[in-house]
Amino acid sequence: MRTLPSRRGVMTAGVATALSLALAACGGGSGGGATTAPAAAPSASAAVQDALSKPAELTFWTWVTGIEKTVARFQAKYPNIKVNVVNAGQSADQYTKLQTAIKAGSGAPDVAQIEYFALPQFALSKQVVNLAEHGSDALKDKFAPAAWGQVAINGGVYGIPQDTGPMAMFYRKDIFEKLKIEPPKTWAEFIEAAKKIKADNADNFITSIDPGDAGGVDSLIWQAGGAPFRTSGENQVSVTLATDPGVKQFVSTWGTLLGEKLVDPQPGWTDEWWKGMGSGKYAVWMTGAWAPNGIINSIPQTKGKWAVAPMPQYDAAKPMNAENGGSSVAVIPQSKNIPAAVAFAQWLNSDPEAVKSLNEEAGLFPATKTLLDDQAFRDAPQEFFGGQKINQVLGDASAAVKADWQYLPFQVYANSIFKDTVGQAIDGGGDLAGALKTWQDRISAFGTEQGFTLSSG
Amino acid sequence: MTAVAGAPAATTAQRGTHRSTKPRRRGKSPVLTLIMLVMFGYAVLPLFWLLANSSKTSADLFSTFGLWFGGDFHLFANIADTLSYNNGIFLRWFGNTVLYSVVGAGGAALLATIGGYALAKYDFPGRKLLFAVVLGAISIPGTALAVPTYLLFSQIGLVDTPWAVLIPSLCSPFGLYLMRVYAADAVPDSILESARIDGAGEFRIFRTIALRLLAPGFVTVLLFSLVATWNNYFLPLIVLNTPDWFPLTVGLNQWNAQANSGTSGAVDATYSLILTGSLLSIVPLIIAFLVLQRFWQSGLATGSVKQ
Repeated sequence: MRTLPSRRGVMTAGVATALSLALAACGGGSGGGATTAPAAAPSASAAVQDALSKPAELTFWTWVTGIEKTVARFQAKYPNIKVNVVNAGQSADQYTKLQTAIKAGSGAPDVAQIEYFALPQFALSKQVVNLAEHGSDALKDKFAPAAWGQVAINGGVYGIPQDTGPMAMFYRKDIFEKLKIEPPKTWAEFIEAAKKIKADNADNFITSIDPGDAGGVDSLIWQAGGAPFRTSGENQVSVTLATDPGVKQFVSTWGTLLGEKLVDPQPGWTDEWWKGMGSGKYAVWMTGAWAPNGIINSIPQTKGKWAVAPMPQYDAAKPMNAENGGSSVAVIPQSKNIPAAVAFAQWLNSDPEAVKSLNEEAGLFPATKTLLDDQAFRDAPQEFFGGQKINQVLGDASAAVKADWQYLPFQVYANSIFKDTVGQAIDGGGDLAGALKTWQDRISAFGTEQGFTLSSG
Repeated sequence: MTAVAGAPAATTAQRGTHRSTKPRRRGKSPVLTLIMLVMFGYAVLPLFWLLANSSKTSADLFSTFGLWFGGDFHLFANIADTLSYNNGIFLRWFGNTVLYSVVGAGGAALLATIGGYALAKYDFPGRKLLFAVVLGAISIPGTALAVPTYLLFSQIGLVDTPWAVLIPSLCSPFGLYLMRVYAADAVPDSILESARIDGAGEFRIFRTIALRLLAPGFVTVLLFSLVATWNNYFLPLIVLNTPDWFPLTVGLNQWNAQANSGTSGAVDATYSLILTGSLLSIVPLIIAFLVLQRFWQSGLATGSVKQ
């Protein structure tokens, strides 16, 4: 969902490690779930349609607040299916539970929310149902290509995209106007703007970078056109953090920013960070399109001071964007009623009524083209942002996302060691390239232990 | 902010240790006083931070100085919000934590006392081996056992029920070890022998004589287990799925995760709820400590017998 992989506190750091242990225990095995019946002639998607009219009870694990309202709409439409919404924990917490329950053979829900970055590891270990066998691949054209690319893994479809987080640059209009700086369109301009902000007040920064947030750095690499993680077949993984051209661009820009102390290495979502966001210590927050709610809820006193602009570009002629966060809804093989579970997951994330409700009542940034291209959605002025029609910027940001990004089949583990490797370099303003190489080495070592065939560069 | 929930335990535990180990001196040492003051500040500052910030509005939270109160005193409104947020789930979590702690810690202390007494005072085959096993068990962190525990409970269908938290909480190898050591000295063999000569049964001896002599040890173990179960996080996180059965630690962390990802929907500002919730959640522990500590200290004298 809208979480960045590492956006969490002390407690979950341990959980992430434990999860990797649990993973290690699973060893990428079959997970002991029931296997789905081979698609019996044309009946697979018909069975899903039929399921909507038959009595069934489903358990849905999700941590999206307000999603009950969307689920209530489903129940009003299909009263035979009872859906129990359970908030079993967020992100890594929930994955730990999910994997333990799958391994134990009981206690898992029918349907579960899984973030894009974690989906490949569930998919490759067959811990989630291949929805293509139930006709879900027919939904492909309803979704933004980048969102669909995140659930189409290894030739199958392992989740229905729920929300996305196209990157955008949220910036303090008041600070930019005061210093007479235009919102930077390129990364070169961004560095210039950073220098001006620093020159105005040595305590201020153009932005912060979280030394513990692998997802944030992944997004910046993605936005630079990078694709350092690749999985092919069942177990071929390549990690090219040392040689990927996108990674190199990221290193050059952010190495400069960190080296000249133009950005602040500061963990996000902390007391201090929010204070900086509120006080104007940070002028920019580059993050996913889900960010407005966080700003509105946490620093209401900055109302009217924010605006949103597209991400700075490396090549302004060929704008490229990335995702940050976003999640899908997957079906767990343990489910006793897989067709009903698939039908529910499909309706929840692709029915126009549901998608609108998810956006308006649960605050999710859409993954479907229908809503992303909807004029009313795009033209809605956002009062907190001084009346700016922010969905136009965010919708365009979504359209510009480079669709071929892949996460590792053990990204949750990789993210858990980010802080000890790349995070150290970010914190020390040091050698990003060397740290990325160390991260790559440790990722490769873990992957090999898990039985993957690693190639790196 | 996430560290808040963990901090009070350390604070209270530290205070207990100081109290019990501080030598009673006559003269005053400026150096020791200074060290004490620094330690006191270290222990109390997080609590003060929590109190100050619980009294702020969401807007003040990130715009005013962290170690002082904000513009308006909003504590009571925050408490009301915390108690009513999400249909009052906080109170439910509070009740769950009390249940897990009282039944879990009380049971653990009682079992440890019975077991420790038996290990110390009865000679039976395998006693040394049993004690060695207990010692070994201490070195296995509870976190490492959480996943196997889950698999075990899953087999017998206890996952996602309060039993899955209560049953493991009843086992306290460290408490057993402590009571074994304590019982060896605190219960003189001569008293047991005279009670037996007077015709008392073994259980009666334990109940009427040994238990009283062991009271200080019992309270110590009770306090340790109380703090441990009150702050237990990983086990309930793994074995419970339904928020209705969460203890405060897991519940508050869920709120925190929500706030930290902007997933609290379009209307909720949960940071102030988390702070207020954390404040409320440590109050019972502080009270328990203050109340039980008295028994603990007065008890130390009752254990002495002229040999």
